[in-house]
Amino acid sequence: MHSFWVDLFVAIIKISVILGIALGIGAFLTWVERKVAAHIQRRPGPMVVGWHGLLQPLADGVKLLTKEDLFPRYGDKFLYHLAIILALVPATLVFSVVPFGPEFEIFGYKVKPILSDVNVGLLLVFALGSMAVYAVALAGWASNSKYPLIASMRKAGVLVSYEVVITFAVMGPIILAGTLSTYEIVEKQVEQKLWYIWLQPIAFVVYMFAALAEMGRVPFDVQEAEAELVTGFTVEYGGMKFGLFPLVEWYIEGLTLSAIAVVLFFGGWSPINIPFVGFVDPLFFLGPLSPFVWFILKTTALFLFILWLHWTLPRYRIDQITQSAWKIMLPLTLFNIVITAVLAPIVWR
Amino acid sequence: MIKKVATKPLSWLERIFFIDFVRGLKITLKNAFRKTITTHYPYEKITPPKRFRGFFAHKVVDGTEPQPAFQEWVNRYNIQVEYGKSRCVVCLRCKRACPVPQLFEIEGKKLPNGKRVVSVFNMNMLLCTYCGFCVDACPVDCLYQTDIHETASYTRKDFILTLEILEQIGKDWQMRRGNEPDRIWIDDEQRMKLWYENDVKLPKPEGV
Ligand code: SF4
Ligand code: SF4
Repeated sequence: MHSFWVDLFVAIIKISVILGIALGIGAFLTWVERKVAAHIQRRPGPMVVGWHGLLQPLADGVKLLTKEDLFPRYGDKFLYHLAIILALVPATLVFSVVPFGPEFEIFGYKVKPILSDVNVGLLLVFALGSMAVYAVALAGWASNSKYPLIASMRKAGVLVSYEVVITFAVMGPIILAGTLSTYEIVEKQVEQKLWYIWLQPIAFVVYMFAALAEMGRVPFDVQEAEAELVTGFTVEYGGMKFGLFPLVEWYIEGLTLSAIAVVLFFGGWSPINIPFVGFVDPLFFLGPLSPFVWFILKTTALFLFILWLHWTLPRYRIDQITQSAWKIMLPLTLFNIVITAVLAPIVWR
Repeated sequence: MIKKVATKPLSWLERIFFIDFVRGLKITLKNAFRKTITTHYPYEKITPPKRFRGFFAHKVVDGTEPQPAFQEWVNRYNIQVEYGKSRCVVCLRCKRACPVPQLFEIEGKKLPNGKRVVSVFNMNMLLCTYCGFCVDACPVDCLYQTDIHETASYTRKDFILTLEILEQIGKDWQMRRGNEPDRIWIDDEQRMKLWYENDVKLPKPEGV
């Protein structure tokens, strides 16, 4: 009985930490994005509200919250609001299987810094990821307007193709690790002294492409396409309802997909890896905190890389996107799985 | 006839290693760490170029009129020239050149000595497109555009430029910038530098 209350307490703490990260950092990332975008174009970005515009997300939030809440005539109110929930909840839920660091002991209790170490964690990630299709399709349909409908159909097309690709892409690391649990995949990488990126460069590149497509980032932002579709399926949403979609799509999903990429390909919380030899940790002086710092550092680096790509590349056409998914990425991943299956025994030893 | 220019297709090496992506990323990375060139507008202001197309003004008679044209026009229209007053000879060419019919309101009056002088000259800036046709049309270099560009106001009345305002702006501008040589940017070093950095090398046209 005693341990039940402790478990509950620990779970509540974990949930609040994760929610804090997802929503707090998510909002703050809007500022990061604007700064990165600005500097790439030789502008300073937001500068006025707070030190270097640091309080800009707050100001934006207040502005969005105080806006008039418009609803399109003949729209479907139930689906309209359901779409918001369907977008926000699954994206945030993915955080529950992201391992932030190794198990540690506090007051005699063992705590794993992962909300729920389910043994099919990765499956959960991609199942929840697929839910995004519903959010997008419903948002477009319920708005009763032509631009959102076109945008949501485009996005649904992109998502459906890349869901397949991303699932096949992560098959490689899964074969090497022999498990679907995110926590154990990282442990396996530490055990085998190998980041899977070294053996899975193809899978990583394909994963990155698919991740960009899922987040709706350049070069796959056809669903947004400011020039043709205004802002895609969010056209008819107003105020904070409008703010939630990019927050979820660009920042929360961006964070989770970067974190999952770090878990799968960059050894989660492990320090810099020399394949098959061991790990070098320049941050050893941080002691038990070092794994967490490494995880955060790697995720940040990956997220910044995505931003960098976003503000560099032009946009693909919808037919080019689906074509590359089915004709190039899918065969590549299948090829990769075969190679991995051959290589796997060397890694298992 | 349309000349077909084929772009070189990507080689396999370029496709596999995303060479074109990498090139683009290199450029954006380089720019990301360069100094920003923004002017922080309400806190910093740069002087517009001398030929900026802003609010209008009338040049006043001060001895710098284009001669002999000015004298000829004065004689033709029998104008009373007064030092320090508008050069306008009431020819209405600016009104005719303007694409907006109701923008100008110009009237002249006859003095007791038989000569004429401009008495009313109103411009409604709310209608103006700042195209500058009226400036081109003016035969005596009277009407011209100045560097005044922060014109936002709470009342429509402020957008009517009367003869007095035009003359006043003109005098002020002559004093501030009359002797300045024409240049693009005078107090923005970053932009100055960009201007020189940007030496476009165009290929020589064929058959020259
Ligand atoms: S700038 Fe063009 S629109 Fe404005 S007053 Fe002159 S001619 Fe008319
Ligand atoms: S064109 Fe010049 S001189 Fe003629 S009325 Fe207009 S401002 Fe006066």
